[in-house]
Formats: sequence, C-alpha cells, structure tokens
Amino acid sequence: MKNIRRFFAAALVLALFVSVSVSISGSASADAVYRTLDEILADGTVNIGVFSDKYPFGFVDENGEYQGYDVYFARRIGEDLGVKVNFVSTEAANRVEYLETGKVDIILANFTVTPERAEKVDFALPYMNVALGVVSPDSRVITDLKQLGPEDRVIVISGTTAEDYLIKNNPEITLQKYDTYANAKNALENGNAAAWANDNTEVIAFALENEGYTVGIPSLGSQDTIAPAVSKGNETLLNWLNDEIRALAGEQFFHKDYEETLVAVYGLEYEDSLVLEGGGLTE
Amino acid sequence: MDWAYIGRVLPLYGKAAWLTFRTGTAGILLAAAVGLLGAAALRWRVPVIRRIVSAYVEVSRNTPLLVQLFFIYYGLPKIGIRTDPEFCGIAGLAFLGGGYMTEAFRSGIEAVDSLQEESALSLGLTQSQAFIHVILPQAAAVSAPAVMANVVFLMKETSVFSAVSLMDLMFTAKDQIGLYYRTAESLLLLVGAYLMILLPLSMLGTFLERRLRHAGSGT
Repeated sequence: MKNIRRFFAAALVLALFVSVSVSISGSASADAVYRTLDEILADGTVNIGVFSDKYPFGFVDENGEYQGYDVYFARRIGEDLGVKVNFVSTEAANRVEYLETGKVDIILANFTVTPERAEKVDFALPYMNVALGVVSPDSRVITDLKQLGPEDRVIVISGTTAEDYLIKNNPEITLQKYDTYANAKNALENGNAAAWANDNTEVIAFALENEGYTVGIPSLGSQDTIAPAVSKGNETLLNWLNDEIRALAGEQFFHKDYEETLVAVYGLEYEDSLVLEGGGLTE
Repeated sequence: MDWAYIGRVLPLYGKAAWLTFRTGTAGILLAAAVGLLGAAALRWRVPVIRRIVSAYVEVSRNTPLLVQLFFIYYGLPKIGIRTDPEFCGIAGLAFLGGGYMTEAFRSGIEAVDSLQEESALSLGLTQSQAFIHVILPQAAAVSAPAVMANVVFLMKETSVFSAVSLMDLMFTAKDQIGLYYRTAESLLLLVGAYLMILLPLSMLGTFLERRLRHAGSGT
C-alpha cells in the first residue's frame, strides 16, 4: 500500500512538473524577462555575462579581476552607460538561457552569431570575426578531419558552434564533450583526445601559449562574426548597443581593445583579420 | 512543448539513462564491496589497516565527489596514470560510496550483541561461519535502511559526471539546452528519466527493508 501511495505521489509530482513546464514554454515569450535601458539606468548596475575561463577573451586574472577582449568592451559599456558593471560568469551552454531568464542584460562571451541563436536572442552589431579551428599535439597533427580514426576522440565544449558544426557535418566523429574551457584544455593536455575543435581564435591562442601543439586546421566551416546579445525583444538596449558600436568606430576602439588584451597572445599579425569596427560596415 | 522534438531526442536520453544506470550500479556495487571489507577490518580491529580504513572513511565522506573526480581524471594523468571517463566515474563513486557504506555496515555489525558471536562460537561454529550465518543476517537488517539510502544517494551523485565528459542524464540535458535551447522539454525528459531509475530503486529498498526485518526479530 505504502509503495503504491508513493508511486502515485511521484506521478502527481511529475504531472505537476509537466503542466508547469508546458505553461513556461507557452508563456516565455509573452512576459518580458529583460530590463529596458531605462530600468538599467535607474538601477545603476548593468549585468553582463562573460566567460571567466576563456583566455584571453574573458578570464579572471591572478588578482581576481575579470580581464580580456570582451571584458574590456564590457567596461566601456558600463562607462558610457554611466552605471556599474556586474560581471556574471557564464558557461558556453548557458548563454542563451541567461538571457531568456533575465539573469543578465547583455551577453559578451565570445558569442558567435548563428541563425538558430538569433531566433532566441537579439544580436547587436558584431565586433569580431571568427571561424572554427582544430588544434592537436605536435606528435600527431590533424590537418584534415579525415585523418581521424574510429578510436579518435575530438574535444568540444558543450553549447559551442564547434559542437554544433561537427554534429551536423561530421556525425561520424566521436565527440568528447566538456562543460568548461578549463576542463577541455586540461583534458587535451592530458592526452585524452586526438584534437580539440573550437573557435579558431581560441585554439590559436592555446597553441601559442602551450608548447607542443599545432593548429592543423586553422579555418573550418564558414566565417562567422561575434556580437553582443540581449534578450529577445529588448529593443531599447539593442539600439543603444548598436549606436555605441557605431560611435566607437570613430576612435577605432576595438583596435585599441585588441592592442590592450590580445596582442600579447596573437601579436599584430591577426589584428586586421580579427577586429571589426562599427559592425564591419564601411564608412 | 514540442512533442516531435521529444520523440526525436528520446534515444539520446535512453543512452544517457543507460550510462547513468550502468556507471551508477557498478560504482554502488564496488562501494558496497569496499564497505564490507572496511567494516570487517574495523570489526576485527586489524592492526594498521584499521587506521587506514578510519582515515579513508573521513577523507571520502568529507570531500565532494566533484573534487574526487577532478583528482582522478585531471590530477592522476599528471603523474602518468591516465583513466578513461567511465572508469573514472565508477572509481569516484566507489571511493565516495565506500566510505558511506563502511559506516553503514559498521553500525549494523556493532548493533549485534557480542553474546551472539560468543554463543555461536560455543556451539562449535568457526569464526567465519559465525560471521556469515549469525552476525551478518542480523547486521544486514539493521544496516538496510542506511545502505539503501546510500544507494539512492550515490545514484543521484552521477549528476556531476559532466566534469569528466561523461554524457550522463544531467550533462545530456544541459548539452541539449545549450545546442537547441529546448529548456522545458529537456528538463521534463531529465526529471522523467531520473524518476524512472530512482523510483523503482527506492521501492526495492522499502521492500528489502521489510523482508530483512524478520532476520532482525531476535535483536
């Protein structure tokens, strides 16, 4: 009897859960979860989602301070809005979720613009170019995905464009998925997989920083761009960001950002191919 | 709620549920074996080993599984011991669970009156016969609730396996949300799959506790 009662109790909980999630998925778009520009200004703090473990774009330095290319831009946004920036650490797979639930106002976490993501969030003008790349140990440099055998694993980070690309285009490759950049790098160093596929900026940085690794495939798939994102429908904030990015082109802000945060890793060689000013629109 | 999507990804969750169940069960069985050995070492006050077991119980119970997994998966390769993710998950569960199981069995064995063992020995049973036929059945009855609670607890602990790239239920749901942004559907599948594994397990526990109570009727 007790067991049966317990079973029914569990069934009831499950039914409740179904109805709640059904209503959530039905009403998510109806209720605004985001804060408009005026609400952010009134509050005096803007919440910006950044990476804490993606060197040199968004990371925490030895003093516990957020640093990197994305963070440099985030600080500037705070300055020009005249509010304090509250950095919220995010993982790749959480970025859309954080905007949909209003946990952050802006995502500035090396967020590649894709059509699927654009259905869920609103992207502002892009500020960086990106493609996918594959890094592997010098002992066996992978220059073509065809070199991978059935035993080989390829590291990807859950929720990234690299994961999405390989699932769609190379379903025969066995992926080894990690939830954070830190874990993925550690796993590659430990030799748990044949290669690591990610944004080419990231794998180039890894190969430059760590001896014994080569980016055998520097560009995979299409050329994409990276842009800030806001919650779907948050037009006031989106328009402000677009105006900001256009205005910053005048002072070549993103070149300065590159020279402050990225030059130590990439040198000047990549500056013009990576950086986008004013959303890439020619003046 | 997109039921067509749910139908499409159901095999993925089936695979993840199987991995959760497989690694969970293997880890729990190993943990139980470690627990029995540990409790026996404490019971017979085996010199040196007894102290090692006590220290092990403290370490395993007072560090999070996530930390133990990190140590096994990311730490050991630095000194040349490489493990694959599934082995690592099972070893982590066995390490964590072994400590809890040792304590559960120890308290069960201690609850059996020493008179029972003395009587068994005086009737001509050898020490191991006395342990297997007299002490263990009564100890099991006392330990059963704690052991079953540990079993359910350990099965749920598999949800941190994402740290070592194991596609368990939790990581599969997170991954799907990150890839296709189907939050409601993913969470529903996640809860449903966990209930399907854990509900029968806890019912089995209730059933076993009731059956074993007879063995303990003498105490």
